[in-house]
Amino acid sequence: MEKSIETIWKEGFLNKNELLAPKVNDLYNKKSIHIIEKFENMFRMNIWGIVVVSTVLLVLGIFNGALIAGLIMWVMFLYVAYTAHHELKALEKVDKGQSSYLFLKSFKAWIDNSIDRYGKMYRVVYPVFVLTFYIGMWFSDSFADVRQQVGNSSDMVFGLHLHITLFVIAVATLLSIFSKAIHRLDVKSLYGGIINKLDIALAEMEELRG
Amino acid sequence: MSSDFYTTSILPYAGIIIKICRAYTDTQEDFEDYYQEVCLQIWKSRNSFQGKSEWSTWVYRLSLNVSMTLQKKKKKVNHDVSINDLPAELIEDSEQHSDDSLKQLYVAIKQLSEIDRGVILLYLEEKTYQEIADITGSNPNNIGVRIKRIKERLKKLLDGKIN
Repeated sequence: MEKSIETIWKEGFLNKNELLAPKVNDLYNKKSIHIIEKFENMFRMNIWGIVVVSTVLLVLGIFNGALIAGLIMWVMFLYVAYTAHHELKALEKVDKGQSSYLFLKSFKAWIDNSIDRYGKMYRVVYPVFVLTFYIGMWFSDSFADVRQQVGNSSDMVFGLHLHITLFVIAVATLLSIFSKAIHRLDVKSLYGGIINKLDIALAEMEELRG
Repeated sequence: MSSDFYTTSILPYAGIIIKICRAYTDTQEDFEDYYQEVCLQIWKSRNSFQGKSEWSTWVYRLSLNVSMTLQKKKKKVNHDVSINDLPAELIEDSEQHSDDSLKQLYVAIKQLSEIDRGVILLYLEEKTYQEIADITGSNPNNIGVRIKRIKERLKKLLDGKIN
């Protein structure tokens, strides 16, 4: 190599054509999306998804004689959506003008905090959803025939079939215990690539910081 | 974004943004997307600029942060390949530069990790170790060693091409 990289750099940019700025127009319609905006958009869609699904469940509950179960799930999921909305607001506040290390760190911290908070919330949400869904379905008009068929069995507790109820409680308990792990897996499947990239960049920055 | 803001607060620093965006993209289309995205983020984040650093330093930070985190579908390039092994799209991209040496230097810089790319770009822009450390959020004592390593790697990559 004859020239130093410093010389190549300096001489290369003596040609003004190298520094011609592209035209900036129609910015908001450009397909290029910043990673945080991508997160924001996905989050926004998730929030709307939660609202829509919970409303559908409420409507189904109303038409199937399971109004209370439908209402419980609707209120619970609206709370989840409300929490997600707050998470989104916190993400919008991440300062992109701070140092690269702090910026990446803030972003990673937001992801970790979010996983942690959701994991805790799902500890309650998962079992309540499973139990409410089961009890709501069991006492709904659609299950009237099933109730009648097993109604004479001695294995009944408060109008519920004992073995099925025990099984559902076990599932709900397991979901509650492993809520964080399940949520982490869920996040990994959605954002795994981005999180890995962030981890690698942060590890390098840590090394540079010494 | 108002054209006034672009003309007074972004355009004078377009050179910085262009150099950074070039180092993080493989095609002209990606480059233009990154450039526009950086401009957009500068405009959107303008109120968070507190004047604690120079505006140019802040533009550097933002350009690096945005470029490092932009998600693009691109082919995975093995960091240890020689320039001769580069995929066609990278070579094609480098045709954008009129200077052959600069073209090769850019191709070599693209072989570096995202962080190393940022560090060497700041070094080539004659930023001090302290400024590089401030922008990247690292320790100035480690910057010198890192730059030495990066330069050695770039030299090897460039020599590979010439030989």
